[in-house]
Amino acid sequence: MTDFKESPFMYAIAFVAIGFVIVQSVFFIVKAWKRAKELGIKSETLRQTVVSSALFTLAPAVAILATVIVLASSLGIVLPWIRLSVVGNLAYETVAAQTALDALGGSITQEVTDKVQFSAVAWVMTLGVAFGIFLVPLLCKKILNKVGKVVNKDEKSSRLADIVSAAAFIGIIAAFIVREINGKTADNSDNAGFLSIATLLASVLIYLMLDFFTKKFKWKKFEPFVMPSAMFGAMAVAILLTQYAPASLVNWTWWS
Amino acid sequence: MNKKTYMDKVHIWGKIWCYTALAVFICIPLAISIYYDAWPDAPTVLKAFSKVALIYWTSSIIEVITYTPMLGAGGTYLSFITGNITNLKLPCGLNAMENAKVRANSEEGEVISTIAIGVSSIVTTVVIAVGVLCFAPFLPKLTADDSIFKAAFDQVLPALFGALGASYLGKHWKISVFPILVGCIILIFSPTLPVGTMIFITIVASVAGALVMYKLKLIK
Repeated sequence: MTDFKESPFMYAIAFVAIGFVIVQSVFFIVKAWKRAKELGIKSETLRQTVVSSALFTLAPAVAILATVIVLASSLGIVLPWIRLSVVGNLAYETVAAQTALDALGGSITQEVTDKVQFSAVAWVMTLGVAFGIFLVPLLCKKILNKVGKVVNKDEKSSRLADIVSAAAFIGIIAAFIVREINGKTADNSDNAGFLSIATLLASVLIYLMLDFFTKKFKWKKFEPFVMPSAMFGAMAVAILLTQYAPASLVNWTWWS
Repeated sequence: MNKKTYMDKVHIWGKIWCYTALAVFICIPLAISIYYDAWPDAPTVLKAFSKVALIYWTSSIIEVITYTPMLGAGGTYLSFITGNITNLKLPCGLNAMENAKVRANSEEGEVISTIAIGVSSIVTTVVIAVGVLCFAPFLPKLTADDSIFKAAFDQVLPALFGALGASYLGKHWKISVFPILVGCIILIFSPTLPVGTMIFITIVASVAGALVMYKLKLIK
């Protein structure tokens, strides 16, 4: 008998949700593309944006897929697939599922066999993320109008807004970088240490090297590939280190 | 009557898509409950939900306020529906604007960010769908503890943020040192601090540091 978590009905829901995301994305791309042409942005720039964004997405998308697989052992493959394709978040979904199962007396390491428990998890995971979508239509225009007023006030304000905007993004990157330098997870499963720091540094070095050669030899067409190449290169370094460096070094973390 | 600008239209489309998405997403657990006649106790769901909401509703507010100016209107509406913002859509949008040499707060930045995030959403959805439908039986082997690829999957975030850091922090290194230092010091005393909270701290440190440097004319 088909597992209820992976029944044709569940697959039908998944296809509807995924279809929705794809149609919405195509809608916005088409509208933005037309506007870009009106603004005089070159087709070459737009094509490069598409190619570099697609390449940039590959590695994180595979990591998201890995989270779907992890959650599949307890929730079946379809619900995590839906959750991580729409609104979902790599870090959020596992915690949300674990929290919901905890409250229901289950665990993420055990298969959910009760339909009521399964439905409860689906409710909690969905309601948890719904708030962001509810907030965006209320706040997006107001926030952008405020920012726009500051940016367009005068040249000095515009420069200051650029600095604040750059600083805010640097703040976001810094949070993730420090997490890989000396962070710790509550269950000790992903503590920072030799491997995370080595991967981080490998990524930085490969990026700088590729960026240098791209500029020096004017490889204009390779520019969009620099960041994805650095990411994949660093992941390859992580594999090589786990295979060939001493285990004591590879497994070393600040918190072990 | 005033003709609507592109930006006005984006907000109208965005609102329609967001509210439709909200309805579609709520229908998912509803459909599961109806089809399987599986209705969990409201108190049980609320108990679990209150724990999740405490963390994620707060971070949703911070995310909307922080990310919207960087993603632009179209990018924001798309990102909040398709998810995985911090680990994918935001870096992807910013990388595209950087490559195209356009500013985040311009209409050129708006369209480039929207195209990049739209493409990223489609690629993510396709990768997950193909992975689930074609490779589901083999994937657990790839991500298993004894797989040689496990290290690569485990190290996606340092690989992503290393490259992004080299690109962005390199250009603004004076601003970057302070938030990284603040973050590292905080983690010494509170190592398990969630990234969601850390983002808030490092953004405040970074913006405050940048403003001080601007006042002191250390950056122009």
